[in-house]
Amino acid sequence: MAGRNDALRVIQDCQAPAGGEPAAPTRREFLGDALKLASGAVVFLAGSAGAAGGAQPGKQPDEAYNWDDHLYAYLIDTTKCIGCGSCVRACKVENGVPDGFYRTWVERYLIGMEGSYVDSPNGGMDGFTPVQVGFVANKSFFVPKMCNHCKATPCIQVCPVGASYRTKDGVVMVDDTRCIGCGYCVQACPYGSRFINPATHTASKCTWCYHRITKGLKPACVTVCPTATRQFGDMKREDDPVRKAIEHERVEIMQPHLLTEPQCYYLHLDKEVR
Amino acid sequence: MEHARHVFRVALVVVLALVVFMLTRGLLVPKSYGMYGPYRHDNVAEQMNARKPAFGGAQACADCHVEQSKKRAAGRHKTVNCEVCHGPLRQHVKEDGSIDPMPVDRSFTLCTRCHRKLVTRPASFPQVVPEQHVNGPLEGKICLECHDPHSPKL
Repeated sequence: MAGRNDALRVIQDCQAPAGGEPAAPTRREFLGDALKLASGAVVFLAGSAGAAGGAQPGKQPDEAYNWDDHLYAYLIDTTKCIGCGSCVRACKVENGVPDGFYRTWVERYLIGMEGSYVDSPNGGMDGFTPVQVGFVANKSFFVPKMCNHCKATPCIQVCPVGASYRTKDGVVMVDDTRCIGCGYCVQACPYGSRFINPATHTASKCTWCYHRITKGLKPACVTVCPTATRQFGDMKREDDPVRKAIEHERVEIMQPHLLTEPQCYYLHLDKEVR
Repeated sequence: MEHARHVFRVALVVVLALVVFMLTRGLLVPKSYGMYGPYRHDNVAEQMNARKPAFGGAQACADCHVEQSKKRAAGRHKTVNCEVCHGPLRQHVKEDGSIDPMPVDRSFTLCTRCHRKLVTRPASFPQVVPEQHVNGPLEGKICLECHDPHSPKL
């Protein structure tokens, strides 16, 4: 009995103003404080329960594949692209991308002193035909675009349900069983590489063909590229040509001022490209 | 004694709330959630097996079609993957091993996707203005009448 009263006194002492007579809390105050304490405890317990559930270090997504051994990167040489659109067509077939949406696409730039023109008819899927622009185009080039698989992704940060994530081997993906299709990530991506799939009503994007690369194949777009504009490599392999290019060439990234740390690197990217 | 009863009631409410919370959480949060971050880790394996690869690459084609592959590898189309013109391997060799006829795109548009003259293409890349390249009307013409796609000559 004495013990209980002591315990109560401790609570009362804590709440008493310094130097004043310890005042007994009203029922309202006491309940309020108890609730705060309880909610704190719940958060703490839930956190530790979550940590305990996750205490399986080294668990691989699949027994045949060790994601700690890989860190993927993509390299695009814009001077080589001929705008054939084979990559866009291959991506469509490989990933079943719905009509009118693109996980990768090719843009055509025509730039002159008096103006500039950019287009991507049907994502570049059917190639390009000559176009008339109302100015003298001094330079013109194709730029293949896709998800940049950023290290510091805006799209993952805004996902309210934990459906977007980046794997340890460096691929940004969407868990479409968790995705609620709110579209925040579509708006957050500065590269416009996400869309809401009209069939599933969930966010969809390039996965670097995760079902292929984890089996040792290249992504479909890289497999079919006839000019080696698109290259795919592994930064954890010392003899990898893409790793060597990224380490030794002058490579650029799209919109570096956004600090998203893209893992799609570009060779000879023009300043006009966004 | 009076005070003790109040504390007991509150404690009971708190414990009940906690139990309800933990049970609900256990039911709603997927098992592999949070293993490596705020996402469901099982989805990584699901993505790995989401679909079977459709494109096999030129090497896969060479396993059966030795002659065409040799010809292609020696010609100017050596960097063009077979499946660019023929379609993905998976449409030809089914998962159960049965063979479906290979779709062959012999169309004029297939060739012009790469070889129609455009200012945007790299200047060193072989290109033609089809209207000037062909004598007479373009209608119904196919490039393959003159050019061998496996080893094109200029």
